[in-house]
Amino acid sequence: MARLIDKKLSRRRFLGTSSCALAVATVGSQTTVLKALASSGKVTTSKGAGTKDVFTACGMCVNKCGVIARVRDGRIHKLDPNPEFIKSRGMLCARGNAGVKVIYDADRLKYPLIRVGKRGEGKWRRASWDEALDLVAKNMNEIAEKYTRAGVMFASTEGTFQEHFFLQMAECFGSPNTVRHPTLCLSSNIQGFGATYGTNPTPDVLNADYIIMAGANRSEALITPDSIDQLKGDGGRRKLIYLDPRFTKTAAKADEWYPIKPGTDLAFILAMINVIISEGRYAKEFVEEMTVGFDKLVPHVKPYTPEWAAKETEIPAEDIRRIAREFAAAAPKAIYYQGRRSSFFTNDTQLRRAMAILNAIIGNWDTEGGMVPNSKIKLVKHDYLAPWYDDVPERIDKGSAAFLSEKDGSWINLRNRVLEAKPYPVKGMMIYKQNVVMSVPNRAKTLKMMDQMDFICTIDIVMSDTAWYSDVVLPEATYLERQDPLESLSGILPVVAFRQPCVEPLFESKPNLWIMQNLAKRLGSEVAETFDFTMDEHIHHQVSKNPQILKDLKSKGVHYMKVLPTYGLTKGKRLKTKTGKIEIYSANYAKKGLDPLPTYTKHEDVPANKFRLLVGRSAIFTHGTTANNAYLHDIMPENTLWLNTLSAKKMGLRDGQRVKVKSRVGEGTLKLEVTEKIRPDCVYMAHGFGVISKGQSLIFDRGACDAALIEDKVEPISGNAAMHQTFVEVSPA
Amino acid sequence: MKNKRFAIVLDTRRCIDCKACTVACKAENDVPLGSENYRNWVGEEKLRGQYPNLGQSFTPCQCQHCGNPPCAHVCPTKATEVNQDGIVHVVADKCIGCKYCMTACPYNARYYNEEIEAVDKCTFCTHRVYAGREPACVETCPTKVRVFGDLNDPSSEVSKLLTKYPSRVLKESQGTKPYLIYII
Amino acid sequence: MTLLKHRPSFKLWVGVLAIGVVVGIVGTGNVLLNGHSAVYNVTREIPWGILIATYVFLVVSSTGLCLVSSLGHVFGIEKFDFIGKRAIILAILTLLCGFGAIGMELTHPIRMGLYTIISPNFSSPIWWMGTLYGLYLVLLCAELFFLMKGMHKGAFAMGMIGFIAAITAHSNLGAVFGLLEARPYWHGSFLPIYFIVSALVSGGAIVSMIVYFNHKTTGEPMPQKYEDFMGTLGKLQALFLLILVFFVVWKIIPGLYGHPPEKYEATVAVLSGPLAFNFWFFEVLLGLAIPVILLLNKKTRTPYGVMMAGLSSTVGIFFMRYDLVIAGQLVSMREGTADLVGGLLQYSPSVTEIAIVIGAISTCLLLYTIAERLLPLESDH
Repeated sequence: MARLIDKKLSRRRFLGTSSCALAVATVGSQTTVLKALASSGKVTTSKGAGTKDVFTACGMCVNKCGVIARVRDGRIHKLDPNPEFIKSRGMLCARGNAGVKVIYDADRLKYPLIRVGKRGEGKWRRASWDEALDLVAKNMNEIAEKYTRAGVMFASTEGTFQEHFFLQMAECFGSPNTVRHPTLCLSSNIQGFGATYGTNPTPDVLNADYIIMAGANRSEALITPDSIDQLKGDGGRRKLIYLDPRFTKTAAKADEWYPIKPGTDLAFILAMINVIISEGRYAKEFVEEMTVGFDKLVPHVKPYTPEWAAKETEIPAEDIRRIAREFAAAAPKAIYYQGRRSSFFTNDTQLRRAMAILNAIIGNWDTEGGMVPNSKIKLVKHDYLAPWYDDVPERIDKGSAAFLSEKDGSWINLRNRVLEAKPYPVKGMMIYKQNVVMSVPNRAKTLKMMDQMDFICTIDIVMSDTAWYSDVVLPEATYLERQDPLESLSGILPVVAFRQPCVEPLFESKPNLWIMQNLAKRLGSEVAETFDFTMDEHIHHQVSKNPQILKDLKSKGVHYMKVLPTYGLTKGKRLKTKTGKIEIYSANYAKKGLDPLPTYTKHEDVPANKFRLLVGRSAIFTHGTTANNAYLHDIMPENTLWLNTLSAKKMGLRDGQRVKVKSRVGEGTLKLEVTEKIRPDCVYMAHGFGVISKGQSLIFDRGACDAALIEDKVEPISGNAAMHQTFVEVSPA
Repeated sequence: MKNKRFAIVLDTRRCIDCKACTVACKAENDVPLGSENYRNWVGEEKLRGQYPNLGQSFTPCQCQHCGNPPCAHVCPTKATEVNQDGIVHVVADKCIGCKYCMTACPYNARYYNEEIEAVDKCTFCTHRVYAGREPACVETCPTKVRVFGDLNDPSSEVSKLLTKYPSRVLKESQGTKPYLIYII
Repeated sequence: MTLLKHRPSFKLWVGVLAIGVVVGIVGTGNVLLNGHSAVYNVTREIPWGILIATYVFLVVSSTGLCLVSSLGHVFGIEKFDFIGKRAIILAILTLLCGFGAIGMELTHPIRMGLYTIISPNFSSPIWWMGTLYGLYLVLLCAELFFLMKGMHKGAFAMGMIGFIAAITAHSNLGAVFGLLEARPYWHGSFLPIYFIVSALVSGGAIVSMIVYFNHKTTGEPMPQKYEDFMGTLGKLQALFLLILVFFVVWKIIPGLYGHPPEKYEATVAVLSGPLAFNFWFFEVLLGLAIPVILLLNKKTRTPYGVMMAGLSSTVGIFFMRYDLVIAGQLVSMREGTADLVGGLLQYSPSVTEIAIVIGAISTCLLLYTIAERLLPLESDH
């Protein structure tokens, strides 16, 4: 037995040291990767450092779970979950575990690259940081001179903890045109719940007895802690009702699954409200005390009977009625879960409003098992004085949506305006890790927008499709190699997370702060001064009002104030809405000419011989960033097109054959997966495949890209993309 | 370890098929890349029913650390050993690569590891367990499907779970006496 | 002998075998350079492929040759005496080439030598099979030695022990498969017995070819003694084949009757699934039907006919081994395995695997041809 341990250790030691020695040729893929990494000749790992455990935060997706990196001889051997990290319930998912293949990835960007061929041709030359940054600064200045500073747009990712340095750069350089992911994601949700509650609360999944999830696939679109808390496991009383055109893994866990007709969720909710009100099952006292506009809601939902909704949703009226009754009976420990990515249809904000209203009338606000406003641990903000520039116009997408985020913009609207050069031209693009080619609907348009740019610079860790279409590509250090600022993660149980470098950055990769500081130096002293601090100073400043936070982070990798939720903190206080109450009727919307109460609108039906293209998540993939990860690639090497068995039969298509999928804006070819798990009028493919970049060696030429197919429709209130309104033809390839 | 009988008890109702266990195992144990190389997997059981009445279960699985392991019986060189605590493992140096154990295992729990040039399999993360930690698949699981422990200890969580709930093992008729025990 | 080397058909024969050997060497080189997983089509689910089947085919042939030759010098049937040396030498060569084939499948043939001795597992059928076949090889060599030296007593003694070793080793080969409870298609006492019976068919078939072609190469008309022998062998062979038919039928019926789990799917895979062509064309038509018809019909039971029956059944038997090895693994061991076709796993040999099979068989035949030229194998006592 002891011998076994020795053996195991010695084997691992062998693997560990092989990453240091590297020159020695050994068999096997583990070492092959390292050998490939070494081909650049620049792997330096500290030898003989022995074993150390480093607390850090995962960077594979939006959740930022607590991680302990097990480092051996200067190489990260394994990423383990941090049991103290209460938000993630001490777990680490497949992607989190696959993080070692992010840092030790032969496809990583190793040093700055300058394009030498045509844009998108993939010809590069290696450059020094000095040369690359000089070139970036020169182009930024030239564009500013020629078109004003708004002529350079800044697209940023989320979750690196260093994105605010990039946004600071945008502000200090003087461009109002910053754009981030929310309008490809949850902006209609924020808008809909914000308009009702003044905030987007968190559903207390752990303590709820009755949960209705619609289009929120928590078993595959992992959100901590909801994905964990959704499972009853031990014979609990909880009931999970799940609505989705696909039989997902959440459907497999749900008590009831309804393949609702896409685009009709609002009918389902309005009918539930109709039943709850007409049968007097709402929380009368709560509605009286905490809400405004209920009196207008009563007549408004009258026509929305379950029988009417049954025709729209294809869910039987008796089921809608029963679910409404069960939901009200379980109140206030009942939640209509609002989901997260809410870029479904062009009426999405109104749908989220309806969800908020349904939750409100059963009185689950700020109670155990209900909708709980988030708490957040305060960190001191980094202040800087941005230089003032006179001639800079307003955001290019200003006024394109009823409520537009000043910082995040509206991706599709912004792109349309840039393409029209209205009201002014935008000719430069600075991109921080956002893979816009892969993520913004209608890829052809994104490429067209990039075509008309004078200059594009992308900071990333791999050659994403976006980097592939850039002029200068700058290699950032991965999340495992960086010291990142503290990040306060809000929730029912808020925490502060941070990252510390587990190993030194490989190759010539640099943390974003370093990149911004060195770019700032080249953009003049006014900009440079705002970056005049070290990461250490920045972090100490963040905790200057509560140094305990940093002590906790260093000793257990996380800081939190409480381990049990506290409810009812908003009792008797004004909410952040105009009226200070829950606004069932939104006077604010009425003033803007929008429906003050959610009104049902029908969407276009699926035309004959076409299918509705659905998008959705897989538990092993984060958007367009993980499909090329070696560990995850082993599990799913390409995406497939889901098609219902009956539909496939009708069309004479076989499981496993290659098919062409064509929409109005693009097409793709991929393998067909004939399955019972989808509505006969829909098709689905996983996101993240069909890449253009040859720098993603595992998945290049594999599967199809959904962004190439999805039409660029926009929800007018929040500016969010509407991703479920694309119809496609399917034919044998 | 002496006087112990290690086992994993699984509550598959909690499994969402997220593959965290599979990847954690691969990283922890330096399992070579390749879709056939894994010690630990999640079985997606056959879809039940027809649209729109569907059901599906997921069965996380790995070496069963059988009480009566056919792999150990058939190995010509005793490369498969069984520890006193029931952990079945391969001594790589003794493996001749005949793959008899792979045909003998009714669970398809073994694979050929090109890097160590021997048949390889789950070890219950012996190196972690003997250092007082849980196997990687157990620790990382988001929904805590797996519980690891000592069945010789009546107060261990695994023992308690098996007292509280009825359970089953895979392919019981094979007589392998598995120690991966599934709560029904 | 002198006539032999000038015949163009002989040159062609040697040339074809030499090409076969070269193909085998290239295949072997490919394995050594790139590793098993890169060039073999065996998988985690189907770890045993065509090389194991070839091994089984060759060692069954070896056993069969030993059994048939023992009819002469062990059981005293004089008619069979004269084939002794040839049968034994070919038994040695098929066994060695069989070891070669399995050696290419094993990843550590050298380790095997060491650890089967210092760390033996007496509960392992492979250990017994390997050990007994090792012993059997020694006995065959001794037997050949005594035969060549004309020491009949020694040859008899060795032949006797060799016969016992062949039977035990070979039934142990059956047990390698038959003791796997995990593989219902193989599991049970059927295979050890079946292997002995099919060895007799293999041995008889090969002996008929040896006798026929050896004589053919002399260019002279066949002496009456040989013709008589071929006639007797033909009848005997017909009996062996009919017994084998019996075994084949009783292998199938329990596999279908009552749909025993996994066994049924494997049986159906053989009868109407991915192995159906192999089964009906090679196993049934070439392996059994044609030889039985040729041998039962007096008109066709000529030396040529008996040889053709032998050739036909030898080809068929190769596919019997292949189908047996693959069918036992086609049913997935667990639910929900991806990439199943018609509910079954898939295997088809890679080019390299086929190259090694060609190499093994060609080497065997080439060495035999050389032995035929260099050694005095006629025994006219």
